[in-house]
Amino acid sequence: MHRKAVRLAAGLCAASLLLAGCSSSTGGSGAEKIRLMVWSPSEDQSKDSGQWLQTCCENFAALHPEWDITFVYGVADEAGAAGAVSQDPDASADVFMYANDTLTTMTDAGALAKFGGIYAEELKATNSETLLDSITMDGDIYGVPFTTNTWYMFYDKSVFSEEDVKNLDTMLEKGVVSFPFTNSWYLPAFYFGNGCTLFGDGTQEELGADFGGENAVEVTEYLIDLVSNPNFKIDQDGSGLAGLRDGSIQAMFTGSWEAAAIQEILGDNMGVAALPTYTLNGEEKQMYAYAGSKAIGVNTSTKYMKASIELAMYLGSAEAQQLHYELRTVIPCNTELNDVAEIASDPVVQAQNDTFDRTSVLQPFVASMSNCWTPVENMGKGIRNGNITKANAAEQTAAMNDAMNSDGI
Amino acid sequence: MKDKQKSAKAIRRRTNIIVHMILAILAAIWVFPVLWVIMTSFRGERGSYVSTFFPQTYTLDNYVRLFTDTTILNFPQMFMNTLIIAICSCILSSFYVLSASFCLSRMRFRMRKPYMNMAMILGLFPGFMSMVAVYFILKAVGLTEGSLIRLALILCYSGGAALGFQICKGFFDTMPMALDEAARIDGCTRWQIFTKITLPLSKPVIVYTVLTAFIGPWVDFIFAKVICRANSDQYTVAIGLWKMLEKEYIDSWYTSFAAGAVLISIPIAILFLKLQKYYVDGMSGAVKG
Repeated sequence: MHRKAVRLAAGLCAASLLLAGCSSSTGGSGAEKIRLMVWSPSEDQSKDSGQWLQTCCENFAALHPEWDITFVYGVADEAGAAGAVSQDPDASADVFMYANDTLTTMTDAGALAKFGGIYAEELKATNSETLLDSITMDGDIYGVPFTTNTWYMFYDKSVFSEEDVKNLDTMLEKGVVSFPFTNSWYLPAFYFGNGCTLFGDGTQEELGADFGGENAVEVTEYLIDLVSNPNFKIDQDGSGLAGLRDGSIQAMFTGSWEAAAIQEILGDNMGVAALPTYTLNGEEKQMYAYAGSKAIGVNTSTKYMKASIELAMYLGSAEAQQLHYELRTVIPCNTELNDVAEIASDPVVQAQNDTFDRTSVLQPFVASMSNCWTPVENMGKGIRNGNITKANAAEQTAAMNDAMNSDGI
Repeated sequence: MKDKQKSAKAIRRRTNIIVHMILAILAAIWVFPVLWVIMTSFRGERGSYVSTFFPQTYTLDNYVRLFTDTTILNFPQMFMNTLIIAICSCILSSFYVLSASFCLSRMRFRMRKPYMNMAMILGLFPGFMSMVAVYFILKAVGLTEGSLIRLALILCYSGGAALGFQICKGFFDTMPMALDEAARIDGCTRWQIFTKITLPLSKPVIVYTVLTAFIGPWVDFIFAKVICRANSDQYTVAIGLWKMLEKEYIDSWYTSFAAGAVLISIPIAILFLKLQKYYVDGMSGAVKG
């Protein structure tokens, strides 16, 4: 009898504990319980670089008491997220980061949510038009941009003056310059400089690539001379950075991802600038880099669309961008933030923004763009190997243009 | 007469010298990339590109970094993940292969021929063709989240093992049926024949099976990549090494990448050296004469 009573009491205790557990988890405030999965590159979550993502998500949760949010973090960098999301939107993050050149991968899979109404208004108010164009398709905005993505020039200030770095040919007289000549993300810069275009303004797929004609041939001939210049070194497999390290190279072209390494090598002598001009038949031509952006996207299969959109907006807000810059030097793109003195005075920020505004073209993301990479790369390799000479420059340029305009089938 | 003998000897010697020189050159070419990776793993200078063949400075930091700098790429965890997955699938698939081979070699049943044909035809297709389908099946069963991913990968690597019975069955076929019959007369069950008669006689082929079953999951990249997706705590070494070569990491992680490559080859090398003497025997046959 006694034993039975004890057992009963124990049972009651356990039951009351369970009930207590239940009542506390539902919450007295009536907050909706939601679970958001967020993907970002691993640096954003690493303790060494300040856990940007966790900090921002917690701030967001504090701002929104109406939701009781459980965050689930996953690792997917901007370049790879599109593949994973389009493979299986259902099992992917609600909010993730992507590079804008992967936009169509996800829209084709119907996995990327549009930002409309007040959200679109807010995005338009805090971002430049060019930047929004990079994530807009058929008039719809597909994410919250948080940084620009392009390449520019790093140089040794003790070798080149600010005046020198305005022209590539002037630089080549004073020091050794390295350029990723066989990489088709970089090489078209010269062609864009002399009036070549891709898909009209970048969205008119029917216009095709215009990398042919007399002006393109002139560029090819210029490039042949460039490669034979002893002060010009082709940057491949990391040889540019290695050259900078051992002092055999004084200027190279790359982006913010190598800024820290270059800063370490050059220290106070690190100079950063937008792309220079080059002298073609006595005329100054501006080089133009491909520019894109990285944005925060929302999955169409999310169960909590409003919360996901709000979170994306927050992660791309001025506040979050500033923290991103402080923790990981991710260059902000918010127009208000770029007027803040401490950010505006950073030479890398200046150069990246200057490049984006002045010396870049938006990298087209129309489907036919995929045909444009290999022919340009082959052009670079052909010139390097000496197969393409002034004698066959015209013919080879035409062949490149044909290849860029064909599906290769 | 003596002169003739001498010249024959001289000719033989000359041929030997030429043959050995060719072999030495081939060996040097073969060892060259391995040597280069090992040297890179001890290289003091950072970066992926160097202008000299031999490193200017030597250091152990690349190895130390793999195990201490774990916030971005957690190598120790990846190593453990891979080891667990490889050991489990090695045990499972060895068992599958040996059992399937034994059945096909020793028993006669109606599906025997069709099964062997089917295995042959399926074996002609590369495994990754089914990758996406496998992913969705695992997802439907609920194995694509959290630490269940490890189980999913083990299933992936061992599930199809029974189709690769050919070599093992060939080996069992060389064992005389009379042995089995004698055992049956003495009252052995099939299972007892398998464990007490067949297996003790087939060490070489067991070793061969274990080796191949271990190396498969140990070096696989593509299935792990598709199934791990954004779960970085479940990454295997292959994914980690691949990450180190991305443009954000390559400059600072390149030498550690080489160190990682050296480290993952150690378990395989040990396994191979220990079991090497059986390896060749495994291809020939069991009971001779």
